[in-house]
Amino acid sequence: MSLGGQQLLEYLEKLPGTAFRRLYQSPATALAIFRRMLSYHAKVIVRGLLYMPDPFPLTSLDIWFPPEGGGKIHRDRTIAALRSLHILQVSPPSKDRTQEIQITTSFKKGLQLAFEGGGEDGSFGVPSSLPVDPSIDIAYLDKYARKKWDDILHYVVNSLGVHGSSEGVSGPKASVKELLLAGRLVERRPDTRTGIGITQAGFTFLLQESNAQVWTLLLLWLEAADHAADSGMDSIDMLSFLFMLSSLELGTAYDTSALTETRRNMLPSLVDFGLIYFPRDTRQFFPTRLATTLTSTASALRTVSSAFTAATANPSGEPGTTTSTSGGPAATPDKTQTAAKGIIIETNYRIYAYTTSPLQIAVLALFCQLNMRFPNMVSGRLTRDSIRQAIGFGITADQIISYLHAHAHQQMVREATVTGKPVLPPTVVDQIRLWQLENERMQTTAGFLFKDFESTEEYAALSRYAEEIGVLVWKNDKRQLFFASKHEQLRDYLKSRKKGE
Amino acid sequence: MPRAIRGVLIQCEPAIKSIIVHLDSVNNDIIIEDLDEQTLVVKENMVQLLKQKLEDRLKETYRPEEPLADSD
Repeated sequence: MSLGGQQLLEYLEKLPGTAFRRLYQSPATALAIFRRMLSYHAKVIVRGLLYMPDPFPLTSLDIWFPPEGGGKIHRDRTIAALRSLHILQVSPPSKDRTQEIQITTSFKKGLQLAFEGGGEDGSFGVPSSLPVDPSIDIAYLDKYARKKWDDILHYVVNSLGVHGSSEGVSGPKASVKELLLAGRLVERRPDTRTGIGITQAGFTFLLQESNAQVWTLLLLWLEAADHAADSGMDSIDMLSFLFMLSSLELGTAYDTSALTETRRNMLPSLVDFGLIYFPRDTRQFFPTRLATTLTSTASALRTVSSAFTAATANPSGEPGTTTSTSGGPAATPDKTQTAAKGIIIETNYRIYAYTTSPLQIAVLALFCQLNMRFPNMVSGRLTRDSIRQAIGFGITADQIISYLHAHAHQQMVREATVTGKPVLPPTVVDQIRLWQLENERMQTTAGFLFKDFESTEEYAALSRYAEEIGVLVWKNDKRQLFFASKHEQLRDYLKSRKKGE
Repeated sequence: MPRAIRGVLIQCEPAIKSIIVHLDSVNNDIIIEDLDEQTLVVKENMVQLLKQKLEDRLKETYRPEEPLADSD
């Protein structure tokens, strides 16, 4: 699962059961959750049980998870994951009956509807029957979404106040700026040129791939709606709408009059994020690639690197002035431009980045000591101090390594393929990791300490259960203490255990 | 019923742990539970402060990098 999926999962796990029942009323949501949020094994279980009329004995699952080879732990973790999404119900353990599992009614109904079609009209959007402007094609939408999203990234990066100008960048709407502020990706700092400064979370945001970035922003938006209860926005309905958007087809016009009023009210914000394109004076909207890839594993609009190249390749690219004739080159900028650009890293920690993008240079400056700038490249080196500084910002060594890897110059990639060696020099990769370890004197895990057990049995049962569902972090049998990363399911387990006695 | 206490588990070397215990001994406002030589649970809101204090303490052992003689 990608980073974006992980964030969404954490958000979903915090929702109450009633929220899930409402979410699953929409077949699009049930399908999106099934497609995106479930592991392979979880999908197997859901597919197997979906059309089963009666509950299924838990022990029969052993056929799919052979007990030898750690099958039981695997099985229990899959079930725990399905339960946390309210997809699976497990009957409480008792002495005279075997435990049974079944798909929750709401999810079952939603997913069945999604597979069979039927149910309410328009759950997957209603294509517009009005004539469509032929100039709005996929290339145009891609360009539009890219511009919108780059504006947001530029805003975050420019708040750094590093080199480069912000010419040709109009910046995001005030509402988006407020969202970035509220989400603490940037914060107000009167001492900087722009009046705002980037935060740790902002750095992490910049280095994420775009799908994860989109989800970060959308979840901030949902949370903001939760807090402002009087705004008339309902985060569950919003989430449901996002899932619906993700099932729409790119390049097709959809009818806005088929949407409920609350959803129509959401459109302006989604336009600000670049998730949809909304031509003036029509009753149509177009989902962009940012929206349609929300819950798919297909690559989103573009990687961070192509955002850099896109940003510089077309500094005056106003969406309104382009026509479909310019769609040709715009559709394939990733291939043509990243070929000529990229980062070369040598075993002596020197870095040469062939780029002119202020965005990429700013990102590099986060973890490199940049020394010189030429018309088409910057040079610098990785030092212990520069890496320490980056780690201080909240960037991890793995993020830096994967960034360097993803943006390596083609010549390095070619060389690596020919000689069969890794793309990045191993010495450099190891050293970056070592520099991080030097800083991480302690490993921290947030969670809950369980103590004061009534009996040894209670301790043994609960700690074993915690281990089975994969939340146990540390335990000490002698002192009967353990530490778990989550407590909800453990609490439920304790309750059902008390009842069973 | 057992109790569940919210906190942050810290796993570190014994030397680092002893520094944390020392920092806590001033106000007793950091540690929730001392688990063993390499593990303890601290208050969630104190982690950032703790990290910073630890960093200050360890600065004494940090040798600044020597500038490289060669040019770029």
